[in-house]
Amino acid sequence: MEFAIDVENLTRVFEGKTRALDGVNLRIESGKIFALIGPNGAGKTTLMRILTTQIEPTSGEAHVLGLDVVKHGAEIRKLIGYIPQEMSVWTDISGYENLLIYAKIYDMASRERRRVINDALKDMGLIEFKDNLVRTYSGGMIRRLEIACAMLIKPQILFLDEPTIGLDPSARNAVWEKLVSFKSEYSSTVFFNTHYMDEADLYSDEIAIINRGKIVTMGTAEALKHCVGGEIIRLSMEGNSVSEDFLEKVRKLNVANEVVVNDLEVDIGVGDAETALPQVMEVLRTGHVSVKKISLTKPSLDDVFVKYAGTRLESIGTIREVKEVRDRIRR
Amino acid sequence: MIDFMRNMLAMIELELRRLRHDRTELYTRAVQPILWIAIYGPIMSGVKAIPTGGIPYTDYITPGVLIQSTTFVSIFFGLIMVWERESGILKKLFVTPASKYSTVIGRSMSSGVRAIFQVLIIVPVALLIGVRFIPDIAYFISALLIIFFASGGFASISILVASFMKTRERFMGIGQAIIFPLFFASNALYPVKMMPPILQYFALFNPMSYVVDAVRGLMISGDLTDLPIDLLAIALFDAIMFVAASVSFKRIIE
Ligand SMILES: Nc1ncnc2c1ncn2[C@@H]1O[C@H](COP(=O)(O)OP(=O)(O)O)[C@@H](O)[C@H]1O
Ligand SMILES: [Mg+2]
Repeated sequence: MEFAIDVENLTRVFEGKTRALDGVNLRIESGKIFALIGPNGAGKTTLMRILTTQIEPTSGEAHVLGLDVVKHGAEIRKLIGYIPQEMSVWTDISGYENLLIYAKIYDMASRERRRVINDALKDMGLIEFKDNLVRTYSGGMIRRLEIACAMLIKPQILFLDEPTIGLDPSARNAVWEKLVSFKSEYSSTVFFNTHYMDEADLYSDEIAIINRGKIVTMGTAEALKHCVGGEIIRLSMEGNSVSEDFLEKVRKLNVANEVVVNDLEVDIGVGDAETALPQVMEVLRTGHVSVKKISLTKPSLDDVFVKYAGTRLESIGTIREVKEVRDRIRR
Repeated sequence: MIDFMRNMLAMIELELRRLRHDRTELYTRAVQPILWIAIYGPIMSGVKAIPTGGIPYTDYITPGVLIQSTTFVSIFFGLIMVWERESGILKKLFVTPASKYSTVIGRSMSSGVRAIFQVLIIVPVALLIGVRFIPDIAYFISALLIIFFASGGFASISILVASFMKTRERFMGIGQAIIFPLFFASNALYPVKMMPPILQYFALFNPMSYVVDAVRGLMISGDLTDLPIDLLAIALFDAIMFVAASVSFKRIIE
């Protein structure tokens, strides 16, 4: 079977030292929504830029729609849509004019230009604002304009780099609503990067987790969560450090599949919290360890990430980046 | 080739549409050259120290001042490129079927659009001040075309410089540092022969001198003896700069 995207042992080294991608293997079936999740600096953007033929791999191979990204860049570019992480529209002309310029670059027949552009603007809920300068648009509207732009050529694969970064929750929902309808209308393959686990969970058919340039695991959200298994008991400890002695005892418990420490929080992966909790309580009591709070959770994608990457995703500075994007849009 | 032209025209159209929405920059940038023509020119003509070949001094410097101002426009075009790289605009353009070269060269040429509008604002003011242009529309249009094509070369210089810059702030100072040497070591304000020998040598390689000479011949003096050499120099300059700018695009996108 032909894969929409087929990546083999892909490596990219920047300036002879930064290994942004380190032996990536990836296969994505066509018609799927695929999410690549990972912290900042994991290599998500680099992978997408190679797949969209902007930069070349240092070694390894990548095929998009069966075409080699190094040899057949021009053909690939006719078939794909791409929305970069940063804002990619001209703010000093109108939304309509932005699409018009791209329609011309894509050599759309002049008879149908107006109709196709208006349809795309209608689909993205921007038709009333089409003649306003993009400078007056909100962050969410700018994203939707970018999707409209990508829709012009009805791409077979749509690449989205952090499509909702820096947007508030309602704008995020609006963007996703449009993306899902776009996908069902054209039955395109969608490949998106994100560091929002909930988005990957809600909207993707398949997920791969990338960390330090390596794909650490891949599967459906359900399967990944199932791998982590069971439930999690989270202890928020009193004091200013977690006693090693205590951790040692918890690790020895039969019911504890896995123990992850994050500052003063201890996550204990267990099969069934109801039977495991009394044993954990016993260790706490005999060790005279006091706890501020105990909570029980089903595993989330976050936990999958912790399991495979060893750190929690949110803790890896994303706030600065969000702010940068906002500043950009304001300018 | 058709693809190439199409993409270039799209880039030029973009620039026209930008200008349609906001022309304030054209006006503010016109202030400085108008001051040269309205104040510096008349004062210096009183001194009568510069051999202009019988042309009033204000008329003599008008082409130079025009070219200086359009070169400013083109050089600061690099600034737009840096901004487009900081945002995702260039990345997205590079993922269209248009070739990367046509995107880079198209962006350069579209600075010529701004340059021409700049000239069209300054010329009427110069007329009011009393500068006498050659009343021949074919000459005038030829001069505009030369300015248009030369602008592409100057914009390419700035794209080349911009490809080394990480931020827009740093670019500002460098823009000034490129323009003033080009301006003062050219025949814009005085004949090259008046310069110290070492500057004369520099002026030989200064593209601005050739553009000024061609435009002065077509707009003011009517002396076209050096026009073929000027055109050749400008064509050579454009070609070299386009190649250099296109090669640097690799650095621009990575
Ligand atoms: N153009 C570049 N030059 C040098 N290093 C780069 C470049 N692009 C990315 N990197 C480095 O490669 C790594 C991966 O970056 P990136 O792919 O942008 O990650 P992500 O998109 O997951 O946040 C980072 O360490 C980053 O600093
Ligand atoms: Mg990224």
